[in-house]
Amino acid sequence: MRQPARAVPPAAAATYVFAVCRHVDEDVLSLLPGITSAPVRALPFERLHAVVQEVPAAEADRRSWTERLSDPEELERCVRAHHQVVTAVAAHGPAAPMALATLYSSEERARQALGADVARFHTVLDRVAGRVEWGVKGYLPAAPAAAGPVRAAVPAHVPAGPRAPDAGRAYLERVRGAHRAREETRSAALRAAEETHSALRDRAVAARRLRIQDQQSGDRRGAQVLNGAYLVEEDRTEAFREVVDTLRRRTGALLIELSGPWVPYSFAGEDGAHGDR
Amino acid sequence: MTDVDHRRAGQIPGPPSGNLADILERVLDKGIVIAGDIKIDLLDIELLTIRLRLFVASVDTAKKAGIDWWETDPALSSRAAHQELMEENRRLREQLAVPRSDQDAGPPNDGADAPFANDGRKSRPSERDPRAEEGAMP
Repeated sequence: MRQPARAVPPAAAATYVFAVCRHVDEDVLSLLPGITSAPVRALPFERLHAVVQEVPAAEADRRSWTERLSDPEELERCVRAHHQVVTAVAAHGPAAPMALATLYSSEERARQALGADVARFHTVLDRVAGRVEWGVKGYLPAAPAAAGPVRAAVPAHVPAGPRAPDAGRAYLERVRGAHRAREETRSAALRAAEETHSALRDRAVAARRLRIQDQQSGDRRGAQVLNGAYLVEEDRTEAFREVVDTLRRRTGALLIELSGPWVPYSFAGEDGAHGDR
Repeated sequence: MTDVDHRRAGQIPGPPSGNLADILERVLDKGIVIAGDIKIDLLDIELLTIRLRLFVASVDTAKKAGIDWWETDPALSSRAAHQELMEENRRLREQLAVPRSDQDAGPPNDGADAPFANDGRKSRPSERDPRAEEGAMP
């Protein structure tokens, strides 16, 4: 029943694909809002299911999507909706999350395209089955430790009388000392980040370092020096968390944050296959 | 520490409450990339990611401070990018005009334009480096 794409009349709706999985719970899907107002549902192909939603054809061209995603609020809504569907699907068995905005001009086209990649989906589903992703981020300790001494080195007011002959030198010494302390804090944190990553990698099936996130202005934490993702057996989760806690207690040089469990997004794409790039 | 369990079996996760920056880097950057019929320009997505990261990182603080830099930041606003391009074109045209004879150039422009007006954005090398490196390839 596979027809060449051109023989299919233009579909009234395009098909957005959230994830591919082996089992779906249609009842769960029907409760999810997804990105458009159409129902989120399963589209069987080969012996797998794609979790899809219709997008009105009028909204389904490249320009309107690029425009849609250029609006930060709309992008956030789409990203969160996509994430919610992926997470709900993964709660019932392994799921291969698709990148945002994977769109086909019709359901039949989606079936064809996904069917052509069926081996790849099985590989990913095998890789992530029974595993979750944990995110571990490391930050320099609170900023005041870094910024404080410099400010303290600046005299609150300049005395009106003649200066002590070595006041200038003392000032420079203090500035240098503050600079050295900052450098030391930073290199200690970088070392701690390497040690943390390698300790966690040993407890994970695969590990990779994600791009360092921009520092949020007004954030009390210092700069981020570690943004790691770890693929962990579900039944090893407690042990993994304990290791994180131990590292956190042991490492004064690094502020450690744990997030998850995530659907293993970071290990679904080709570049995530073997962990560290 | 954020320990949000999104995966309790048999439950519908509520609106995922994870840190947006964390969700973004996964949903936009990771996951399976497979050719769709409707192609969203990957470069666009990459730029969007950068834009939104910056946006997420700064907008709350900026809002509190009453700053609306994203309205004019080229990385965030295509309108501003367009304006910047026009401005750059204008400056280049002026520079080209200078070596020409005095008759054409009109009265000298005493540096009236402000070449450093946009300097703020140059402090984010992460946004530019990849292209710069590509350009440097033999």
